[in-house]
Amino acid sequence: MTRSMQISSAVWGRLPSGDAVTRYTLRNAQDMQVSIMDLGGALQSWLAPDRSGRLADIVLGHPEPADYVAQRSFFGSLVGRWANRIAGASFTLDGMRYTVDPNEGENLLHGGWHGFDCVFWEVTEADGGLVLRYESPEGEGGFPGKVAVTVCYRLDDDGTLTIDYDAISDAPTPLNLTNHAFFNLSGPGTDIRGHILTIDADYFHEIDAALIPTGIAEVAGNAFDFRTAAPIGTRLDWPNAQLELAGGFDHCFVLRNNLGAPQTPRPVASLYDPASGRELIVSTSEAGLQLYTGNYLNGQKGKAGAAYRKHDALCLEAGAFPNRINMPDPEEVIVRPGRHYRQVTQYRLGVRDDA
Amino acid sequence: MSRTQTTHRIALLFNANKVYDREIIAGIGHYLQSTRVVWDLFLEEDFRCRLTGIERWDGDGIIADFDDPAVCTALHQCSVPVVAVGSSYRDETQYPAELPYIATDNAKLMRLAYGHLIEVGLQQFALYSLPVAPENRWAQEREAAFQTLLAADGLHGAIYRGASTSALAWNESLERLSAWLLELPKPVGIMAVTDARARHLLQACLMAGIAVPEQVAIIGIDNDPLTRTLTRTPLSSVIQGTEEMGRTAAHLLHKMLHGARFPGVRILVPPVGINVLASSKHEPPASPYVMRARHFIRQYGCQGVKTEQVADYVGVSRSSLEEYFRRELGHTVHHEILRHKLQIAQSLLAEHAHSSAEIAIRCGFTSLQYMYAVFRRELGCTPKEYQERMRQPTAS
Repeated sequence: MTRSMQISSAVWGRLPSGDAVTRYTLRNAQDMQVSIMDLGGALQSWLAPDRSGRLADIVLGHPEPADYVAQRSFFGSLVGRWANRIAGASFTLDGMRYTVDPNEGENLLHGGWHGFDCVFWEVTEADGGLVLRYESPEGEGGFPGKVAVTVCYRLDDDGTLTIDYDAISDAPTPLNLTNHAFFNLSGPGTDIRGHILTIDADYFHEIDAALIPTGIAEVAGNAFDFRTAAPIGTRLDWPNAQLELAGGFDHCFVLRNNLGAPQTPRPVASLYDPASGRELIVSTSEAGLQLYTGNYLNGQKGKAGAAYRKHDALCLEAGAFPNRINMPDPEEVIVRPGRHYRQVTQYRLGVRDDA
Repeated sequence: MSRTQTTHRIALLFNANKVYDREIIAGIGHYLQSTRVVWDLFLEEDFRCRLTGIERWDGDGIIADFDDPAVCTALHQCSVPVVAVGSSYRDETQYPAELPYIATDNAKLMRLAYGHLIEVGLQQFALYSLPVAPENRWAQEREAAFQTLLAADGLHGAIYRGASTSALAWNESLERLSAWLLELPKPVGIMAVTDARARHLLQACLMAGIAVPEQVAIIGIDNDPLTRTLTRTPLSSVIQGTEEMGRTAAHLLHKMLHGARFPGVRILVPPVGINVLASSKHEPPASPYVMRARHFIRQYGCQGVKTEQVADYVGVSRSSLEEYFRRELGHTVHHEILRHKLQIAQSLLAEHAHSSAEIAIRCGFTSLQYMYAVFRRELGCTPKEYQERMRQPTAS
């Protein structure tokens, strides 16, 4: 794969504490520009050409760094130590009961009160990519062990943004990392109801009123069947009790071909916007893909004076199943000393002329 | 073969001679395959919708195309579950009040077509619609959507409804359509309410010697593969969410067969894509020099102007103008002049009113022989042959 990526950086703004926030911009041969912040390691903007070559920003973001910490909407943020939810904000590991931050009702969401999205990552350029490092101290969010995380962002000339995660811990601990980018392939101004989605999954996790998985169900015969491409707006309108619980999709799909824990990413989903012709293809090494249709967007401060509304964007978050640590046989989501946590997810953005 | 208890008898009332209806039926089929639900499907062997006796039909459910008012009337007091499929309407009262209704979103279809024409750089727009009839209320919905879209941008676009297609009036309607096209300010992007209508536009443009997509860019709706095989210029088209309409209708009926009821539920299905082909690949020159030059060539190209005069008019050196042309259009100024002459000659030949020699003079060709040479090189035929080709009765 050709990579003529160039990296530039500039101070983007300051937090109320006075800390400067730096934004790094990756640029490829087709003039695509991906900006990453050291704050939360967030994918802050992604300028990509449409069918006729015009660039638009296809991810949501706040106008200022302070909003990322104050609002915690997770716009493009790296999420950890545990992406998504842990029921009752507790789990048992090697016979020990642990209590973590109950920051969403009784449950933990996205790392707790002060997750990876709120911290500064140390950024360097290496191996043709942007390398972000963060050392999470023992007890952060209530989790055991000191965890050293390395995330590498790389942009290829074919429009692939690869996010490569690696972590080690000095004590056994559950770990589930993801990137929480909110995509709208049309760029600013319209919702995502007209986007066409495909997900390679025969099953999904049903949820309860607190959005905790209760068991898996077949996608066949209901709104969750994206095995053939379907417009999201239509599916949001299909009568379905699961969609009513979350005000839309906020569900984890059980991706096909998840034999054990493969390290090689395989294509699992595609998102197409007929209006701009942009198409996003998601590949991942992970077992689950959380589809979140921006159900709780309700006026968050966005770029260029925007106030984001419900369904203005959607997330395709690759990771382990939500609350997986409290499901049977949780070993695959536990990092033990001497073993590496690995996950690779690729978002490939291109243009398609026909459906 | 005996019917198991779970096999429901379902009637599909569609006039499935059109790709739109066929794809909806395909969507219903896909839903059944994906769920392993078995329905005993009733539909006419010739895929036409016949309503005789439907009220006495002994079945469990119906999915029907409600674009036809006769269907609405026939199923008005149907005792079995019915899911309606059809056009979206601005006026709520146009929907059957008690039934679930799956609609193709006309506003979004038109927005996609309009957005595409804007994307390729057009600033003037028109719509080719259909004569008002109770069976194609969707065409009026598309007209209204067209007007709303343009009004929001402070624009106004002509709407031409034309005539309903009939063998006897065919030539005359095409001539009228050509006349309408000739009068439109160019370049113009024209949306057609269906691919079938878009094909008329292509034919009329050919007849009138109007260049597609340079002068008239065309986009239809339906993405009909059959229509595509009948046009010489490949037709761009908006792809309706027909399969999803079928899947959605089947899903609602499936739930209704198990006791759920959805009175007044309406689900709008957006388009799923655009097939962008040659008929809408309009490329406006970005450089104002090229634009001014082309404008000059359009006005004086047939009066024997040379590259030098074009450059003088634009106010740049000959070599830089050549460079702009090469970069943006991939050819020389001389070639652009020649293309213009050729286009005018073609349109004059299509009118049949002039001799080749006369046309050669009027278009600024230095000799009749030179015009013959240009025709052979660019079009692969002589002016005479071109004229013959235009004279052939048009197949419909």
